[in-house]
Amino acid sequence: MPAAPPSSPTPEASPISPVKLIRLGQTFSASFAVLVAGLAALLIATGGGQSFTTETLRRQQVSMQPQLIEAFNVTTGSGENTNLKVLLAPGGKVWLIDFVYTRCQTLCSSLGSIYQQLQAQIESRGLQGQVGLLSISFDPANDDAAALVAYAARMNMNPAIWQIATLTNWQDRRRLLDAFGIMVLPAPLGEFEHNAALHVVSSDGVLRRIMDYADFQNALDTAIGDAQKPAAGAVQISPPAVVAAR
Amino acid sequence: MAFIATRAAAWLALCITLAAVALSVPPLRSLIEQSMAWHMVVQMPLLVLGGWLAARATPPFSMLRRLAPFNQFGLTGFMAAQVMTAYWMLPLAIDRAVVLPLFDALKLFTLFVSGMLLADAFKRAPLALQLFFIGYWISMMAWLGIYLATTDLRLCNAYSLQGQVKTGWGLLALGLLLGTVWLGNVWRASTQIAIK
Repeated sequence: MPAAPPSSPTPEASPISPVKLIRLGQTFSASFAVLVAGLAALLIATGGGQSFTTETLRRQQVSMQPQLIEAFNVTTGSGENTNLKVLLAPGGKVWLIDFVYTRCQTLCSSLGSIYQQLQAQIESRGLQGQVGLLSISFDPANDDAAALVAYAARMNMNPAIWQIATLTNWQDRRRLLDAFGIMVLPAPLGEFEHNAALHVVSSDGVLRRIMDYADFQNALDTAIGDAQKPAAGAVQISPPAVVAAR
Repeated sequence: MAFIATRAAAWLALCITLAAVALSVPPLRSLIEQSMAWHMVVQMPLLVLGGWLAARATPPFSMLRRLAPFNQFGLTGFMAAQVMTAYWMLPLAIDRAVVLPLFDALKLFTLFVSGMLLADAFKRAPLALQLFFIGYWISMMAWLGIYLATTDLRLCNAYSLQGQVKTGWGLLALGLLLGTVWLGNVWRASTQIAIK
């Protein structure tokens, strides 16, 4: 008959049984794995822990990877039907684009004054050939050509510097707002609440940076810097030829 | 008697969970789309509560039982619930749940599961461990609540600043309520032990 094993560990020597010890080890490893996986997911979701809001994440993504904006059909303040691509192309200007609705009473008056300051600076520094201002209305239902004209007059827009446009087709609104990362909420008294920013867009219709209104001086400098870079298409004629020769 | 109590608890769990899910489906969806407070202070806590009650009302799921060796004292459950709830406190996560249906479904699922894990974890964790995680959630909710209520920055593109302030105070109140309920339970348990 097999005898019972004589050496059972004394309680003083080993208060925790091996089974318990193994389970604690398993639990510790599992908790650690959950924590690491969770932190990784949080890091990915926040752009490497840098962006906790949709707005900052959008700005981070655009600055790392500029995005081509579709050639939406627009109607300008002068009643011209055109599209964004054609509107932005002339002269290789870099544009500061913002989004407005002309009935705006509250915040927009201060935003309008920032654009007025920008217009004055562009005028006095003779930057007309390098930087353009464009306000796009996201309220095509109310902002017809007449409303745009009235707004342009109210803001003292100089059409050589500052243009205003609205969508020709109401159905494009959702896609336009998504392309620029704008979210518009209806607010009391027929107003809207929306995230407002300056969008730096090059003449080829690529959204390069999104910056705060408060940071408008910096946005203007960025636009000037981008405008003074030699046009990409002109410079890159020879290098691809070299690559092709190899 | 115990059977009736369990059945009532199961019905309560079902009702609360259904109410929380209904807030993600039209016509009630407009409530969470328009009000940050309905989203964060009503729907999200209801989901966790629904999961909690569901776990308490039903016999332990075989899945949870089988995972028990990896979840001593509920530690792993606590960790998982902590990560999931932390994610849904991010403003960008809240925006996503409003705009993207897939993320909204993910929110319903993860918060419900968090509640289930927590019900299981609190049953098995010693007080010190409970205190650690409860302390984490209260400080998280209080910090975020005060920040939302006092900042001039609109953090969610989906919600107005006004709604954000209301949500902030709501979160702070919820955190304090959570702490009070937990302390009450600890106190009740300690008196019961003393009587025995």
